[in-house]
Amino acid sequence: MTQPVSSSLTPRDTRPREQVAVFSIGQYSFVISAAAIQEIRSTDSLGGAVMDLDRPVLRKVRHIVERDSRSYYVVSGYEHFRLPQSRPTTVLILRNAPAAILVDQIEEMAEMRVLLALPHSFVGEERTWYRGLTVLDRRVLPVVNPIGFLSSRELKQLEDQNPGMLQFAAAARHQGGHV
Amino acid sequence: MSVDNSSHIPSFVVFQIGKRRVALSQNCVAELIASPVLFSFPHTSPLITGIVLRRGRIVPVMDLGPGLLGEPSPLARFFLVVERQIPNVSERCAIPVQGECELVSGSMLPAAERENFVIGTLDLNEEHIDILDLEKVIAAGATRITDSVPAAEALS
Repeated sequence: MTQPVSSSLTPRDTRPREQVAVFSIGQYSFVISAAAIQEIRSTDSLGGAVMDLDRPVLRKVRHIVERDSRSYYVVSGYEHFRLPQSRPTTVLILRNAPAAILVDQIEEMAEMRVLLALPHSFVGEERTWYRGLTVLDRRVLPVVNPIGFLSSRELKQLEDQNPGMLQFAAAARHQGGHV
Repeated sequence: MSVDNSSHIPSFVVFQIGKRRVALSQNCVAELIASPVLFSFPHTSPLITGIVLRRGRIVPVMDLGPGLLGEPSPLARFFLVVERQIPNVSERCAIPVQGECELVSGSMLPAAERENFVIGTLDLNEEHIDILDLEKVIAAGATRITDSVPAAEALS
């Protein structure tokens, strides 16, 4: 995985490169490591694998989706990044977090050569949202932190208010039950 | 024998934000750039309106308007790159300014203003220019924005 460096590009970059996906939400583009993604699906293809949360304690999480006997909280990308409502058509199911992210679309797959640290002037939630910034096709784009979509505190809130639901969704689906 | 004292006279960069002319010590000013490409992405930090890429460095763009004027400053074509002194680190940021900047030398007079970010004044052809403490004016703007959000939410 590309390690963050200071906010300047080195003249001769010998660091390992990282495969990434570029996705968009509204007018903004973001980068995420390809290794962080388990699966990319169209929202239309999810169908009956989605169930509502009993108590949606977080504005950005209202559903659970089940894939391959595992369940994931569905995180609205535009709500997470505090953006105006967008039209998500794609879901990124993450590999190492129980989260599936609704995004508008995948723009491209690319190779990230450098990861620049977020300047210290940024002091808000973006320090959790992003691993840093990168430059692709002369654009400076934020590189999202996959585990930043749901903090451990948010996961605990969801589990406390919807006890066992994540496990139940997977079990019900696995047994052929209606979810 | 005469002694050249000119090197002891401090220099300041005078610039304009909205209708207000203010100054910063030359020591904290790096350069003036025109019409850079501005990139933006979602974040929640007050005052930051985007970033520019300058000589391979990511430079955040910070609007001093909220602190100085009580509102965002007008669109700008020029950006003054300054060195911030954040605790334990210094970092460059770009300030959108209206029009060009002026480098002047002169003595700093005591501040007559009540604003805590004004550390002195500069008498420039009988025009009094406020000299700013950069970190304090950034803090003042951030506080104004943070305070105004709950009020706006309460009214909505």
